Amino acid sequence: MEPKPMDDIDGTLQNPGLSAPPITVKRTVTSTGARITTQIKEDGSEDSEEVKPVKSLVGDEVEDKVVVSENVCSDCLAASVEGVKSSRTRFEEFIKANKKIVSEEECLKIESKEEPQVNRVKEEPDVGFDDKKKPEDSASNRPLVPEKSVEAKVPSVPETSVKNMPYQEWLQFRGYAKSSGEGTNSHEKKVKPEGLETARLANESKANVRVREEPRLFAENKVNVKEESVRSSFWSKPQKVKKEKVEEQRVSAGLVEDGDFPEDPDWFLVGRTLVTALSTTKGRKLVDNEIVHFTFPSPNSRYNMQWIVRFSTKRSGEIGRLPMEWAKCVVPLVCSNKVKVLGRCVAAPANLSLMQEIMLYVSFYIHHSIFSDWDKSSWRLDGCRSIDSTVYPLLTLFNLLKNKPFQKADFTPAELDSRKRLLNLEGDSEEAASMLPIVKRRKGCQQFPEQNKDEQTITESSLNKLMGAAEVYNLEEMEPPNTLLCDLRPYQKQALYWMSKLEQGIDVEKAAETLHPCWSAYRICDGRASSIYVNVFSGEATTKFPTATQMARGGILADAMGLGKTVMTIALILARRGRGCPDNEELDTETVDNAQITKKRKIDSHINISSKAKGGTLIVCPMALLGQWKDELETHSEPESISIFVHYGGDRTNNPKVIAEHDVVLTTYGVLTAAYKSDAEDSIFHKVSWYRVVLDEAHTIKCWKTLGAQAACALSSCCRWCLTGTPLQNNLEDLYSLLCFLHVEPWCNWAWWNKLIQKPYENGDPRAMKLIKAILRPLMLRRTKETKDKEGRPILVLPPTDIQIIECEQSEAEHDFYDALFRKSKVQFDQFVAQGKVLHNFANILELLLRLRQCCNHPFLVMSRADSQKYTDLNKLAKRFLETNTDSGTNQTVPTRAYIEEVVEGIRRGENMECPICMEFADDPVLTPCAHRMCRECLLSSWRTPTSGLCPICRQLLKKTELITCPTENQFRVDVENNWKESSKVSKLLDCLEQICESGSGEKSIVFSQWTSFLDLLEIPLKRRGVGFLRFDGKLVQKQRERVLKEFSETKDKMVLLMSLKAGGVGLNLTAASHVFLMDPWWNPAVEEQAIMRIHRIGQKRTVRVRRFIVRDTVEERMQQVQARKQRMIAGALTEEEVRMARIEELKMLFR
Amino acid sequence: MANSNLPRRIIKETQRLLSEPAPGISASPSEDNMRYFNVMILGPAQSPYEGGVFKLELFLPEEYPMAAPKVRFLTKIYHPNIDKLGRICLDILKDKWSPALQIRTVLLSIQALLSAPNPDDPLSENIAKHWKTNEAEAVETAKEWTRLYASGA
Repeated sequence: MEPKPMDDIDGTLQNPGLSAPPITVKRTVTSTGARITTQIKEDGSEDSEEVKPVKSLVGDEVEDKVVVSENVCSDCLAASVEGVKSSRTRFEEFIKANKKIVSEEECLKIESKEEPQVNRVKEEPDVGFDDKKKPEDSASNRPLVPEKSVEAKVPSVPETSVKNMPYQEWLQFRGYAKSSGEGTNSHEKKVKPEGLETARLANESKANVRVREEPRLFAENKVNVKEESVRSSFWSKPQKVKKEKVEEQRVSAGLVEDGDFPEDPDWFLVGRTLVTALSTTKGRKLVDNEIVHFTFPSPNSRYNMQWIVRFSTKRSGEIGRLPMEWAKCVVPLVCSNKVKVLGRCVAAPANLSLMQEIMLYVSFYIHHSIFSDWDKSSWRLDGCRSIDSTVYPLLTLFNLLKNKPFQKADFTPAELDSRKRLLNLEGDSEEAASMLPIVKRRKGCQQFPEQNKDEQTITESSLNKLMGAAEVYNLEEMEPPNTLLCDLRPYQKQALYWMSKLEQGIDVEKAAETLHPCWSAYRICDGRASSIYVNVFSGEATTKFPTATQMARGGILADAMGLGKTVMTIALILARRGRGCPDNEELDTETVDNAQITKKRKIDSHINISSKAKGGTLIVCPMALLGQWKDELETHSEPESISIFVHYGGDRTNNPKVIAEHDVVLTTYGVLTAAYKSDAEDSIFHKVSWYRVVLDEAHTIKCWKTLGAQAACALSSCCRWCLTGTPLQNNLEDLYSLLCFLHVEPWCNWAWWNKLIQKPYENGDPRAMKLIKAILRPLMLRRTKETKDKEGRPILVLPPTDIQIIECEQSEAEHDFYDALFRKSKVQFDQFVAQGKVLHNFANILELLLRLRQCCNHPFLVMSRADSQKYTDLNKLAKRFLETNTDSGTNQTVPTRAYIEEVVEGIRRGENMECPICMEFADDPVLTPCAHRMCRECLLSSWRTPTSGLCPICRQLLKKTELITCPTENQFRVDVENNWKESSKVSKLLDCLEQICESGSGEKSIVFSQWTSFLDLLEIPLKRRGVGFLRFDGKLVQKQRERVLKEFSETKDKMVLLMSLKAGGVGLNLTAASHVFLMDPWWNPAVEEQAIMRIHRIGQKRTVRVRRFIVRDTVEERMQQVQARKQRMIAGALTEEEVRMARIEELKMLFR
Repeated sequence: MANSNLPRRIIKETQRLLSEPAPGISASPSEDNMRYFNVMILGPAQSPYEGGVFKLELFLPEEYPMAAPKVRFLTKIYHPNIDKLGRICLDILKDKWSPALQIRTVLLSIQALLSAPNPDDPLSENIAKHWKTNEAEAVETAKEWTRLYASGA
C-alpha cells in the first residue's frame, strides 16, 4: 500500500471539515470524524487527562460542537461503565436533550453518512450484547438501505454499545436519532440537496459500505490506489453479511482482545495516531477495537527483512504489516528498547483479503529511564546506523505523529537543503566556480605523478579567493595586556579583538537560557515527561536543555604565513586567562530560575566536569615548532607571568593534575595521538578540562578519520582554535576536519557536510561554495600581506623585497656539454612524441629534464662521481671485490664469483640499473661490498645511523666507508674534489656572496637548491674560499635542525646557509637572513614563494633581496614560461582535456 | 606538502602490480587513497587454505619504503601466525623490513606463510598450541574456516 501522504492525515486531524462545502466535506467528515472521535474516545478511556490536548488538534471551528461532544463523551464513558442497559437509556435521554443542538446542517451530513450504520452493527457484536438481538438488527437494516429508510435504522442505534462507539460515529447516531425524531419530512428535505450522491448510492444499493470506503476515498484524493478493485471487494461483501455476522459472533465471543491498555508507570505516552496498515492474510480475522500485537524484525535480519513490522491478534495470528514509512522509524526505536508500540484496530474490512487497508490506532510510549538516567548526556534511539544517513527515527516519529516542536531549531536541514535560507552572500559565484576545476583535475591527473603533487596543493591565490581574504576587515582593535612584551601591529590587535569576542561567545547567562540553534524542543503527550530535545542535524536527543553555551567558541585564524599568528595567539593567551570550562561553573553558581531542566543539567555537568582537572591552554603543534613556540612564549611574555610546560619527550608525567597546573601546555600531535591511542578518553590530555586548545598548523588534522584528528576533537575545552595558513590544502574535506574539531554544528556532522557541501561541491554546484563561505565568515579570520586596512594601506608593511633574475651565460665547455645532453634527450623525446606515448613515458621524460636541469646547475651533477680513480678499471674492481671477500673471511655472505663478474660486466656495458629502493635509475649509484647497487642517497637514508647500516638486499652490515662509487664507462667521469671547476652558475653565486661579505653589512644569505647533491658540490668552493656556512636539509633530525637554525641566527662567522628547497616545510623562521638565492627554478612557483616567505616575514628588518638564477638558452629559461602557464592553469580556466594537451605542449615547449 | 605527493616508487610498483600481477595475488589501490590497497590472495595449493580467497588490506605508510607496509587479513583465517584481527606475524613486516622489499615481495611472503605456518613463532597462542598438539585437527579446522569464510567471497 502506498502510505498516505502526510497532508492527508494532517488534513484529517486539523480540519474536520464541518465548515466546508457540503458534498465533498461529507466524506471528509465521516472519515475524519471517525478518526477524531476514535481518538477522543480512546484517550478518554485510557487517560482522561489526554482529552484536552487531543481535542485541541481539532480545529477551532469544531470546538463549539465538541463541547457538546465532550459531554456526550463523558456520558458515553459513564454509560459504558454502567452497562449496556443503562447506557441505552441514558443515551436516549441524551439524544432527546440534544435534539435541538444538532444543527440541521449537521444532520444533513450525518444523514448522508448514515450508511455506515449497517456496517457498524455488523461489527459491534464483539462488544458483547445479546446474540439474539443482532440478527434482528441486521435483518431490519438490510432491507432498509436500498429504500433509504433512515428512520428504520434508528431503533438499532441504542442497542450498540456506546463503549465502543467513537465520538463521531456516535454523532452520527445522534443524527439518526434526530432525524428519526423529526420524521420523514426532514428526511425528504435532506434527500434533495443530496441528489446526485443519493442517486449513486441508491444505484449501487450498497450504501452500507460507505464508512469503510470513506477514509480510502479521502486518501485517494491524492494517492491513486487501486480504488476500483478495493471497492469491488467491499461491494461484494454485504450480501453475505448476515451469515457472517452470526458466525463471527460465535467465533469471536470471549476471544477478542480489546481491553484498554493499562497505564504503565514505566512508559510515558509519546503520542497516538492512526496508521493505515496492510493486510497480509485473508479471512475474518479482525474486528474493530481488537488489540494487535507488533512483531519486530530481529536486529540481525537480512537486508530486505529488516523493515518488516508484522502485527497479529491473539486469536488469529498474523494479520498484516505496518507501512514502510512507519516501520523505518519504529524499528530502530523499538530495537533501542526505549520505545514501545501498542495498537488496536479501528477499522478493517470484516473479511480481509490480501493487501487491504486496515486502520490501526497506534500509541507510542517512551521509557521513563531516558528522563531519569543522568549518566548519559544524550542518546540516539537508533542503534547502529550508517554514517551517511540523515534520517533520524525519533525525529521521523515526531513528524509522523505531527508532534511539532514547541521550540524549533533556528535552522533546519530542510531549509538548508532547499536553500531557502538566505545566506547573505555577495554574488561571487564566479570566483567560486573557478575553484571547482581543481577538484576535477585532481582526479584526472593521477598518471602524472611529478606535477600532480604541485597541482594538488591549492595555491595561495585560489585560497584567497575561496576564503575571501582580500576583503577589508573593519574590526576593532584590542590593546594587548602589559604582560605581552612585544608591540602588536594594528591588524594583530584586530585579531586579538576578534579572537576575544569569539571566545566570549554569547553572554554566558543569556546563552544558558537560549536553546542551541540546532536543537528543537518537543513535548510528548504524557504529562509526567519533561521536554525532549532533538538535534535536527545529528538526530541526537536529550532531556537536558541544550544551551547555546555548547556552541563552538573559537575559530580558525588563517592569516597567511608570516603575519604572526603565533604572537597573536600568545597575546590572546595572556589577555584571556582561564581554567577549565567556565560555562559549567558559572552555571552552577548562577540562579537560573527557569525550568528544572536547567537545574538537572547543572547537576549533571557538575558531576562530569568536576572530576576533571581544570587546565589552561593546550597548544598542539608539529614537533618542528615545539621549540619555536616555547621560545616565543618565553620571549614575548613577561617573566613569571605565565607558566609554560612542555609535555614531550621520554620522561613524561602521566598525571593530568600536573599538566593542568600550568597556564600553557605545549605538546605535539604525535604525543597527543599516542596518548589517545593508548588511553582514549582517559588519556592525560582528555582527563583535563581545558580552557583553550590551540592547534598550530591545524591542517595537520586535515584527515578527519585519522586518530590524530579524533584525538584533537575529543579534547574537552571551552575554546578551540585552529591556526593555519592553509585551512584547505588539497581537498574540501580538510576543512571538514577543522570544523569537527571546532565543534561547529551542524557541519561537524559528516552526513550533513557530505550532503550539503561535499557532494554538491564535487558536482560543481556553486552553492556549495557559497554555503562554505557563509559558514566560514564568522569563524575564520584570514588576512594576507596584501590585505588593506581601513585607510587602504597594507596591514603589514614589511621591508620591500627585491627580486631579480640573474641570467648566467654558460661557458663554452659547459655549453657543449649541455648541448650534447640536450640533443640526446631530444631524440628520445621526439621518439615518444612520434609514438604518441608522451604521457605514458612521463616519468622518463621528467628524468631527461631532470638531467638537463641539473646540468644547468653544474655538469658534475650529471656526471658520475668517482671517489677515487682507483676502481675505474673494472677489472681492478672485480679483483678488489674478490680479494676483500677472501680476506675478510668473516661470517659475511660472500657474493659468488659468477655474480660479481656479472655485476662488473653489467657496469662495463654501461647498464644503468634501477635502484631497488626508489625504483628509478640510480642517481649516483654505489656498489656495496656484497656487490649490490643502489642510489647512494637511498641507501644512506635507509640506515638508522649515518655511518653504517644493513644492505637492503642481503642485510649484510655495511660501513659508509666501504661503499664504492659505481664506476661507469661514462666519459664524463670525474672526481669532483680533485677536478673541481666552477660552473657559470656557481661562479655567479660565489661572486654575489663575496660582494655581500665585502660590503661588511653583516647580512646573511640562504642558498636554496632542490638537489642536495648540488648543495654537496657547493660546499667544495665555499670551503676552499673559506666562507663559513651551515647546512639544513631533510636529513637532519629535529634536534640538529633546531641547533642549526639557532646557530645561524646567532653566529657571526657562518653567514651562509645551504638549504634544500623542500626541507623544513612548515613555519620556519629564517629572518636572520636577508639574501635569498634560488639556484634552480622549480615547476611550481608556489614552492619558491614559500621559500621566500620564510625570510620575508615579520621580524625581517632589512630589504629582502632575492636572486633567482637562470641559465640562458636552456631548459631553465623555458621553465619560466611553463611556470607562467601553470599559474593560469591553476587559476582553473582549463578543462581536463585541455590540461592533458597543455601538458604535452608544455613538454614540447621545453624541448624546443 | 610532502604528504600529498605519491613517491614515484609507489606509482611504479602499482603499475607493475597491475600489469604483471603475481600468480594467485591481486592488489589494486583504492581510488581515493593510492596508498591503500585491496589485496586478494588465493590459498596456496596443498595447503589447508587451498580453494580459499583471502582478502587483505595493505597500507603504505608515509615513510614507505623506509618503513614496512601495514598488512592485515580481512578474511577470517585459522593460522598460527595470524590473529583474529587479521594481524600477521611476519618478520619482514616488522624488524626485518628492508626498503628493497616491495609490495609484491611482501604479498608473496604472506602467500608463502600460508603454505608454511610457523607455530613456533605464534601470534595466536591458541591456534599455535592446537597446531603443535594436534596438527591434523588444526589443519582440518583451517580447512573448515577456509570453506566457511574464504570461499566464494
